[in-house]
Amino acid sequence: MTIWSEPRFLPCGDRALSVELGDEITRDINARILALEYLLQRKRVPGVGETVPSYRALLVYYDPLVVGHDELTATLRELLTEARPEVLPPVRTVELPCCYGGELGFELEAAAAKLGLAPEETARLHAEADYFVYFVGFTPGLPYMTGMPERLTIPRLTNPRLKTPPGSVSIGGVQCCIYSVESPGGFWVLGRTPVRLYDPTAADPILLRAGDHVRFRPIDRAEYDAIVALVDAGRYVPRIAGPGATTP
Amino acid sequence: MSDLVVQDAGPLTTIQDLGRPGHLRVGIPASGPMDREAFLVANRLIANPDTAAGLECTLIGPRLEFTDERLIAITGADMAPTVNGAPVSAWQGLRVHAGDVLKLGPARSGVRAYVAIAGGIETPLVLGSRSTYVRGRLGGLEGRALRKADRLPLGPMGAARPRRLHPDRVPTYGGEADLAVVLGPQDDRFTPRGIAALFDAAYEMLPQSDRMGARLKGALIEHIRGHDIISDGVALGGIQVIGDGQPIVLLADRQSTGGYTKIGTICSFHIGRIAQVKPGGRLHFRRVTVAEAHAMLRQSLRTLDAAIE
Repeated sequence: MTIWSEPRFLPCGDRALSVELGDEITRDINARILALEYLLQRKRVPGVGETVPSYRALLVYYDPLVVGHDELTATLRELLTEARPEVLPPVRTVELPCCYGGELGFELEAAAAKLGLAPEETARLHAEADYFVYFVGFTPGLPYMTGMPERLTIPRLTNPRLKTPPGSVSIGGVQCCIYSVESPGGFWVLGRTPVRLYDPTAADPILLRAGDHVRFRPIDRAEYDAIVALVDAGRYVPRIAGPGATTP
Repeated sequence: MSDLVVQDAGPLTTIQDLGRPGHLRVGIPASGPMDREAFLVANRLIANPDTAAGLECTLIGPRLEFTDERLIAITGADMAPTVNGAPVSAWQGLRVHAGDVLKLGPARSGVRAYVAIAGGIETPLVLGSRSTYVRGRLGGLEGRALRKADRLPLGPMGAARPRRLHPDRVPTYGGEADLAVVLGPQDDRFTPRGIAALFDAAYEMLPQSDRMGARLKGALIEHIRGHDIISDGVALGGIQVIGDGQPIVLLADRQSTGGYTKIGTICSFHIGRIAQVKPGGRLHFRRVTVAEAHAMLRQSLRTLDAAIE
């Protein structure tokens, strides 16, 4: 696990390059990646297209007819000197209700047994933590988060599931993720949120962004069902603190 | 307002335009046509703007009925197109009339055919694009592939005369697809023998390939220190090599990030070629530098712009 002394600029074909700052999953490196992306997009560098942040790298699409590889690399190098967390806009905290255990959190008991904890304790520890979204991706709207207490560190499933329902709140390694669409999965499902992280029918289909904080609010099955009904009717507003705050 | 009536949809016919770039950072791929060049030519043959939405037909084409007089163009895979049962030419603008039925059959060569219709298909824009992303149920018609009895709204068309592609520019899609590859981003995670294998051997297209990725089979590509990386962004054309040493090329509907090593990236101007390789067909990779790739890109854009008579 290292932070490179110099950023690496890795070609990704003729229209993209990857800026890599290290080989570890830390808030420090990720904050520099998010700050670099923010500065690059704010600067509106001609020829720069979309950008994809991840743990320790930023994928930058560019139009080589407008900006050359070396010129773009020089610009990125310069922006990196300013790419500190302070340049980022204020963070949001998004509250997600989560129904732990039972048929929605169908691996809570197995995960608890693996961790040597009671299921209630596992759910409580999980719900108490403050989660940070490093980036959103793989499938639309899926957040890659850390923030769990060390006691919840758990090896991934040895046999990944073929289908995981959307909204499944799950853990693997030191990470927590929420499946956004039905997909295969290797994380332990502890619960489910009735909130849609990806809603293709909405004007803005994506709920969470890189840099957000997430808090889980434990709910029972009755409240889960009630919120599902509100979500289906388009009348549920998730609670968000910070920029773009909502007051239910 | 006139409609295009789908009498029979074929296995996977979707509405595509140039795609919706800008949302990969939240996990939504740009989608758009798998063979961008063939798609652009179809629009240009009938003086549509490049951004007009048309149809991408996969392996077996649809049967479509027109409700007014329109120019249309068919490009890409050879699906033996007919209008009212009579063979018509691909790669040139055609005029159809109300009640005419266009039928595309099974692909005789290539995989994906494109149908452009003057005025374009005007389903609602979703995040700035009409492209269909089936896995994400986004865009197109209700986020899905077309079905029998769908009616697609068409836009108003201007006056235009049909044009045709220079006959010597019509691609054949036969033989071994030759694809330019820039090494990286994780070429340092492969042995010299692994890298040599990628460029020396031919790889075969597997039937499990789709709009997300092309699964290939061939000589083993040997890793150093395993195939897992800390997940990062995946560029269009990225050649991901997983544990079995076999490559997967990530395409228009790809996942935005992934945790596997990527040995190289197929250049943008050759993505269309891979989109037309049938299962069992063979591909050959050729190593180029970034500078060479940029020179080839300029050349390919010039060729495309000069291809229509």
